[in-house]
Amino acid sequence: MTWWSVVRFLHVLSAALWVGGQLTVSLVVLPLARRLLDEQRRAKMMSAVGRRFGIVTAAVFLPVQLGTGVALAWRKGVTWASLADPGYGRILVAKLLLFCAVMAAAGLHGWASATARPGLARAMAVAALVGSLGVVLLATALPAT
Amino acid sequence: MPTYVQIEKGRPSDLPQPPPRPRASWHLRANAIVVGWLSLTAAVALTGDMLPAPRWLLIHVFLLGAVSTAILIWSEHFAVALMRVRTPPQRGSLTRLALLNAATTAVLAGVSVGPWQLAAAGAALVVGVVLWHGAVLVLLVRQALPGRFGHVIGWYVSAAGALAVGGTLGALLAAHVWHGAVHERLRAAHAEVNLFGWVGLTVLGTLFTLWPTVLRTRMSEATRKASRAGLWLASPGLTVAVAGLLTGWRWMALAGLTAYAAGGLAVLAPLADALRRRRPHTGAAWMLGAAIIWFEVALAVDLVVVATRPAHEVAAALDPLQPLVLVGFVAQVLLGSLLHLLPAVLGGGPARFKQNAALLERGWAVRLAALNLGVPLLLLPLPRPVTSLGWALVLGSVLAFVVLAVIALTRARLAGTQPAVAAAATGASGLAKGGRTWRRSLPVVAGVAVGCLLTAAAIVVATTGGSGPATTVTATGSRTVEVTLSGMSIRPAVIEAPVGTVLTLRVTNADAQRHDLRLATGERTPMLAPGQSATLKPAPLGEPVDGWCTVAGHRAAGMTMRLVPTGTAAASRPQPSTGHNGHGPAADGLARLDLAAPMSPGWKPYDATLKPVSGGAEHHVEIRADDTLVQEVAPGVRQRVWTFNGTMPGPVLRGKVGDVFVVTFVNGATMGHGIDFHAGATAPDGPMRTIQPGERLTYRFRADFAGAWLYHCSTMPMTQHIANGMYGAVIIDPPDLPKVDREYLLVQGELYLGEPGSQAQVAKIRQGDPDGWMFNGTAAGYDHAPLRAEAGERVRIWAVAAGPSSGTALHVVGAPFDTVYQEGAYRLRARDPGGAQVLDLAPAQGGFAELVFPERGTYPVVDHTMRQAEAGAHGLFKVTGQ
Repeated sequence: MTWWSVVRFLHVLSAALWVGGQLTVSLVVLPLARRLLDEQRRAKMMSAVGRRFGIVTAAVFLPVQLGTGVALAWRKGVTWASLADPGYGRILVAKLLLFCAVMAAAGLHGWASATARPGLARAMAVAALVGSLGVVLLATALPAT
Repeated sequence: MPTYVQIEKGRPSDLPQPPPRPRASWHLRANAIVVGWLSLTAAVALTGDMLPAPRWLLIHVFLLGAVSTAILIWSEHFAVALMRVRTPPQRGSLTRLALLNAATTAVLAGVSVGPWQLAAAGAALVVGVVLWHGAVLVLLVRQALPGRFGHVIGWYVSAAGALAVGGTLGALLAAHVWHGAVHERLRAAHAEVNLFGWVGLTVLGTLFTLWPTVLRTRMSEATRKASRAGLWLASPGLTVAVAGLLTGWRWMALAGLTAYAAGGLAVLAPLADALRRRRPHTGAAWMLGAAIIWFEVALAVDLVVVATRPAHEVAAALDPLQPLVLVGFVAQVLLGSLLHLLPAVLGGGPARFKQNAALLERGWAVRLAALNLGVPLLLLPLPRPVTSLGWALVLGSVLAFVVLAVIALTRARLAGTQPAVAAAATGASGLAKGGRTWRRSLPVVAGVAVGCLLTAAAIVVATTGGSGPATTVTATGSRTVEVTLSGMSIRPAVIEAPVGTVLTLRVTNADAQRHDLRLATGERTPMLAPGQSATLKPAPLGEPVDGWCTVAGHRAAGMTMRLVPTGTAAASRPQPSTGHNGHGPAADGLARLDLAAPMSPGWKPYDATLKPVSGGAEHHVEIRADDTLVQEVAPGVRQRVWTFNGTMPGPVLRGKVGDVFVVTFVNGATMGHGIDFHAGATAPDGPMRTIQPGERLTYRFRADFAGAWLYHCSTMPMTQHIANGMYGAVIIDPPDLPKVDREYLLVQGELYLGEPGSQAQVAKIRQGDPDGWMFNGTAAGYDHAPLRAEAGERVRIWAVAAGPSSGTALHVVGAPFDTVYQEGAYRLRARDPGGAQVLDLAPAQGGFAELVFPERGTYPVVDHTMRQAEAGAHGLFKVTGQ
């Protein structure tokens, strides 16, 4: 148990918060809102949930994730050149690219919700969710050594 | 029963729609499983080579997953609808479905990852479920009043029986109970009974009612008669065909298949009759029609294959036809039927029915054309891009259906959650509603697709070699290596070459069953039949590359290899993901025994032939101890042994009761040795004492007792002296020993690899944990130099168990003993009515057994302590003659 465990803990916890939050909203909150609330209230509630989640993402999730991620990579001795190596480097770079794509999708979702494009917003929300599951998958595939 | 009417008349719009019934909802859920398996099939096809046993997995995910689930659901549904009986308890149906899916998962996991017990258990569960299903159908028939459609159930019950047989065969295949030709025959029977039985009989039975319904015409008058005749031909025909394939009687198999094909033709008569009345005009009708044509084509080709090949080559010859049967026939029937049946099952009112049907039929002509164009592209020996196009066409067609079906299913589910709205809706508003939900689910589908594509792209980036700077290796030289696949191993198991070497692997399958070789970098040979070869040319060697056989279960059984660039640290890294544990090569300087490997050139087997007693009553022998010689103790493994007269085992002494042996024992070794003849009666103090190098002694004994006796080095620690090879046999014939045609002697000993006397070897000797067992000084030596005999000859096999720690249970596969002589007494004589299967000897015991080989063939002689047989106490009798 070193300080590095704490850094790794924060990294995992923050990822769990973000992916878990999305899953909870999609699988629990949304269906219930659809069943229990009328159209108007539902829209209001969902946009509120989305805004809050966006704030959490920008204010907590992204800084924590980027900070701890960079720190962990530094400790691991990752260099730009080593990112091209098969194995750890390549999986990491794939994970980072996918993460960027997920963030882009999430951003698009926010923009589409704000500009009343429900179809696009929904598609991007689901894409971000599936993509973040992919990030988790790649994270678990990183060799442990 | 409203569902019955829908299916029979196919005009639900004319009928008042009942409110959503529970059955509709359970069918809905159940069909979601089928659609799920279908999309998994597409995923497996796309992932392809990255999975273990990709081909096997593709076939079984599709047939056992999607098709079997569909058959289970629909045959019960049709039985209920056609016989107008009460639906059997839903809980039972759901339980069967759940069990089948659990069993399928177990089979898939067990075969592709292991252990095989999991696969066998899964197969047993499949058999159990399908028998239960058959029993339920039989009970339904009993309940029902005699009706017009009772004949259909016979087809379903026969189909269930077929899967019970096919599943059992599958379990045997997964367990690798038999090898070589028997395995291949089993595979052929497994494929035929499952495809033509479980799938074929179900489809044929269903077509009687489904085909006229899809064509929207009435059923032919001749249906019932044709059905009776067809089933009477097809079902017994298939039984005979399977029996013929299993036993290897080609003509019996052919006769059975011909009967089956005749049954199939009989079924066609009423179908053609319906076709004359009404031309196909829907997607479902065209798809079913095309499927029937592919079925007949497959059947015809199968007949030709069975007629022209011996039974053990049938399975391999049919392999290239898999796309025809799986895609052309099975997939197309499944898609066609679902296309027709899903709207009816989804229910929800005439408007909804029309709308669902329209949704599912969207672009059916293109899908039909793509699928049926794809089949010949996959079938014909075309270059790779064309085959890929074929796959794209087929998968595109299947995926298009899956997407449409998912939309229809979600739409129905959404409608189900708002029953009040749905019930109130008129046809028009229902249509609008349906349109809305469809539009609403579109973003979700699109989002899932985008997310999956992104993830897939990321995984591709993560796993492929690509052209990163670190992975390009400049070619520095080239080398060709012969690689042999046989006996569940790949030889050489490790190929070392300098970094940058361009390796050319000439891969030959020297086994009696099919193998291939796939490298982790993606290169692979085609599936090689026995004797076939192929060449692999991987990229210049940069990093260690694993290779393995993709046939289900073979990788776990040890068919792995590794290309290792020298000059890197990778050579000593333990092999990842090879299924077997145990000592890695060169881990402790000791290789795992590869008993199927060739013997070194120049190796001569220890002559097992026992020479007759030489004349005279006194035998003079000189025996020299030596501890410097190197002998081949297992295929390719040469190591130092301690010997009497330079051989392990030492020289054989043979005489009659009362003969005197005068042995001059010379110690020509580098340490003290002694000798102990069990056949003699003398105080051990003098003759058995240890003498030092260069000394000699005379050992004189009279053989007062008959038997097969051990002699061995008498110097402590005797475990080491015996384990390292200082033992031999003295044969004293019992009085009036009858003459036989051939006499052989097998002295069984344990094999401990490593330098004699080294710490590691001594530790293994003291624990009694040998690396192998040997007959006459070489593990599996007589596999490579079989003992000879002729059919009908009487053969006497003398045996002595030298140990030091284990005895033997000597057994000849396929030829029982009629005479057993053990430790000085007959336990069985040829005139006795009984027989014996094993000559069992504790360490240092001896005896003989006699047998008559019934016919020509290859008979293994083994220590039936199977662990010891599989580690080398194994040889072959090659029996020639009649």
